[in-house]
Amino acid sequence: MFDIQQFKLINKYALRDFTRSYKKLWVVTSTLFVSLLLLSLTFSVKEALNSEIENNSKKLLGGDIQVTSGIDPLPEKIIDEFDDLGKVSTAIEFATMLSKEGESPVFTELRAVDDNYPLYGNIETIPQIASERIFVNSQKPSVLINESIQKLLKLSFGDDVVIMGQQFEVAGLVSSVPDLAESAVFGEFAIISMESYEQFGLNSGGSFLDHQYRIKFKNSTQVEAKEKLVRSIVEYDDSIEIRLPGESGQSLSRIIDNFSNFLNLVSVSAMVIAGVGISNTLLSFVNQSNTSIAVKKSIGFSSSFIQTMYFYEIMMILVLTSVVAYFIGVFSPLLANELLPEALGIDLQPTFSFIGYLNIFFIGLLVVLIFSIPSLYSISEIKAAALFRNTFNPVSLNFSLMNIILLSILVVILTTYFVYQTEQKLYTVLYFVAFFVTMLIFYGVSKLLILFIKAFYKFSNNSYRIAYRNIVAKKSLAPIMTISLGIGLTLLLTLSFVANNLKKEISDSIPSMAPDLFFVSIDRDMQRDLESFIKDVDPNVELEFSPMASASFISLNGTPIEEVVSESNRSAWVVRGDRRISWSEKPKPDNPIIEGEWWEPGIEDELFISMDSRAAYDLGMKINDKIVLNILGRDVTGIVKNFREVDYRDISINFAIIINKAFANKLPYEYVGTLKSELPSSEILARIVEKFPNVSAIKIDRILSQVSEVLNKVFIAVTAISLIVIIIGLIVIVSAVLVQTTFRRYNNLIYKILGVDFPTILKAMTMEFAVIYGTLIFFALSVATISSFLVVENALQLSWQFDLGLTLWILLSTAVVSFVLILMANRSIFSPKVYPLIRNE
Amino acid sequence: MSAAIQFNNVSLNYGTKTDTVEVLKSISFSIDSEEVVSIVGPSGSGKTSIIMLASGLETASKGSVKINNQEIVGLKENELSEVRRKNIGIVFQSFYLIPNLTAVENVLLSLEANQQYNLEKDAEELLGEFGLSHRLHHLPSELSGGEQQRVAIARALINKPKIILADEPTGNLDSANSEIMIDLLFDYTKKSQTSLVMVTHDNSIAKRCDRIIEIRDGQIV
Repeated sequence: MFDIQQFKLINKYALRDFTRSYKKLWVVTSTLFVSLLLLSLTFSVKEALNSEIENNSKKLLGGDIQVTSGIDPLPEKIIDEFDDLGKVSTAIEFATMLSKEGESPVFTELRAVDDNYPLYGNIETIPQIASERIFVNSQKPSVLINESIQKLLKLSFGDDVVIMGQQFEVAGLVSSVPDLAESAVFGEFAIISMESYEQFGLNSGGSFLDHQYRIKFKNSTQVEAKEKLVRSIVEYDDSIEIRLPGESGQSLSRIIDNFSNFLNLVSVSAMVIAGVGISNTLLSFVNQSNTSIAVKKSIGFSSSFIQTMYFYEIMMILVLTSVVAYFIGVFSPLLANELLPEALGIDLQPTFSFIGYLNIFFIGLLVVLIFSIPSLYSISEIKAAALFRNTFNPVSLNFSLMNIILLSILVVILTTYFVYQTEQKLYTVLYFVAFFVTMLIFYGVSKLLILFIKAFYKFSNNSYRIAYRNIVAKKSLAPIMTISLGIGLTLLLTLSFVANNLKKEISDSIPSMAPDLFFVSIDRDMQRDLESFIKDVDPNVELEFSPMASASFISLNGTPIEEVVSESNRSAWVVRGDRRISWSEKPKPDNPIIEGEWWEPGIEDELFISMDSRAAYDLGMKINDKIVLNILGRDVTGIVKNFREVDYRDISINFAIIINKAFANKLPYEYVGTLKSELPSSEILARIVEKFPNVSAIKIDRILSQVSEVLNKVFIAVTAISLIVIIIGLIVIVSAVLVQTTFRRYNNLIYKILGVDFPTILKAMTMEFAVIYGTLIFFALSVATISSFLVVENALQLSWQFDLGLTLWILLSTAVVSFVLILMANRSIFSPKVYPLIRNE
Repeated sequence: MSAAIQFNNVSLNYGTKTDTVEVLKSISFSIDSEEVVSIVGPSGSGKTSIIMLASGLETASKGSVKINNQEIVGLKENELSEVRRKNIGIVFQSFYLIPNLTAVENVLLSLEANQQYNLEKDAEELLGEFGLSHRLHHLPSELSGGEQQRVAIARALINKPKIILADEPTGNLDSANSEIMIDLLFDYTKKSQTSLVMVTHDNSIAKRCDRIIEIRDGQIV
């Protein structure tokens, strides 16, 4: 039964003990605070981003509803029907080249908008009135460009640029648009008026044209009925897509979710390492307080009362640290605003939510419970009878059967709680399993090290003998150092290896294989002229052109494709929306068939399909399955004939779906192509665009540098976060060192009395560190190598490489920092004062 | 008079089955309420073990130990704590004050263990009686050895226990402080009609008791 007086007593003792012993609890407080802060930061930024997306869903969509008809515009009659529902804004997006005389043309995402645009929010421009200028009717049309184009082409306001052979004047810089355009954030983006688009006939974007219609309903009542009406208006064509505000910013949300899930896992790793420190500190706290505990027991306090009192103290620390961490975290979105690209147009606001706080507190509570139970239960091993003999044996962690069951349940709850909150459930479970297995490995390593060292005790060297005794001693640093530093180092090495392999692939491997230019949407009538022009420019050029048409997946073996393939399927992109397909008479040499057979040439009335094997297996396809594709508005049933192994890494022309040429001959099509040349790609591109203004080509090196830039930022963030795990590990080690200081100071005094000098003791400490760290390196490196190899080879499908320089740099810098910190924490033991020790003070 | 402490064929062994040290060998004795008894004997004879068994801080290997007619052998830790809270006050040789509690807080600890709250005045009065009114809010490290032991005695007595167990209470004190301490204990036991069992090496102190129990090699001589 709850006893209020008992509770008051616990509260009183705990408060008193806390205020008078807080110095002993600084490790618990600091490690718990840092890990809770990390968790709180990621939760707060994620919540703020999601709520910003949710609150601004109409702005992000650009209307109350968006209808996308793809290459072809909607008939006038349908737009008139939309007009009856509210204000309609029409936009056309397509990729094209934007050039300036004397500079290499830039592949640009161009958006043509009418004067109703934007229906919600504003276009932010420099100067502010620049957005109006593009709608002013003048002889020379205007364009708004983003900062990336301005930098690449060294443009100033009023300069002339050429788009598809037509001169435009730069009216200003567009810094953000309300409806998020991905290219506005990471690439090159420009806006022109719809009038200019129509007047100058810029509609040769081919299959890459995207017609978008946004409606702002006349009033906000009966929205659902209006949405239904819009759906019924366009239901005649399956390929027309409708998006509602709730679906806007979905890809951004997914990226945020994945990244924050990763950060949460790192935070929880930091917290578990902090937990190791908490456990160690509490145990030493219990051992230091053994007399007080024994006296309390002798007076008549029960073990459970004393345990509850200390637990209450830990709870006070948890409440205090979690509240402070949460409040700092709540304001972190303001800092995130500074780091997010301005073009996203996102303004994060701090949002306080009690549920959010409880979330942080609950995770902290689970970790604290897991790591404090074995320490606090050791209180029951302290005997009050020892007061009569004045002899106290240090107690150790209490792993009774009951405690093991309790701890297992708590670990399962912690894992389940995280898994429940994440979309990537399997990866989260795997992470936790890997994490706890790594912890066990390092615990085993420390025990093995002690066993191993025991076999070498006869080695005759004073420093070695001291180091030996320190390692095999009951309160050795080895277990805590191998676990806390081992996990941090393994995490840092693994992430660095993965990052390094990915960066190498992007900076070295891909550029050596990839073409220089990728042509998008080449008109079939132009292809021959373009090919011969390029060959005139560079007779040694490597050119490849492939025909291409648009198709969309309808069903697999009679079942609608939406029912067969879930959203989370890795290859869902293959069957979602419009997909470009190609055709061929013969299999491509770099696309080997791994299942089934190629088709007989010349069969015109049957559709045969060759699938990318990875996508086919992900989607559960088998040879001879029947697939219905919608090609140019007509549903056609085809038979899956074979699966090809497709390597997209070299950025050459590859298609997930290839059909038989004889059947495809009837289809209207265009070309895509690649070019690889010894000549500078900028120069070739400039000459091509001058001669063929409607040709669009992507410079691969530009794309790679953009990807590198983004990856670099992500990796800096990831490395910084994994460093926090190491920092927490170091705090834990320093705390373990400080706990040992009294014991070591006494030992060193004895050594001093016996004539052992300072250099010998310093050498002993260096040896002790070297032995433990050396063992730890071996296992951390092994675990990191295996895990990064698995990620790089399997998940990223790249070839894994080992970087000795990077490895040495990480290992050496961690060793130096750790050793200096250990020396600093140990400084008082180098010159122990004889008097207080002899007086037993 | 009824028996405050009863030992019946009590043995205490330490060690393993193959290597056993027999500390007490089937001893029996009884101490009446209000009786003042000293336990004497050479080092290692088992004097302190008797105090440990009587306080329930150690469990007899064989035999029966009764405190105020309640059998305590076989009780669980919580039940033993309750017996101690209600019946026993212990004074140790090494004082064992809690270092981060003041003198008055150390004394209050006993009351609070017995769920008696807000009795600061009682604790201050008792410490005043022991000549420590000027040291009430000092930490143990700020007190002399004699003062620390007076606080420890006050802590043992504040609860008005029926039995006081003292293990060489003057062992760490000079003769002047020893005398003060013993006078305090004897005066209190007389006034409050309490039993006092005291382990001592000091014959002059032992002689002031109603009875002396001498222990040698784990047996009563």
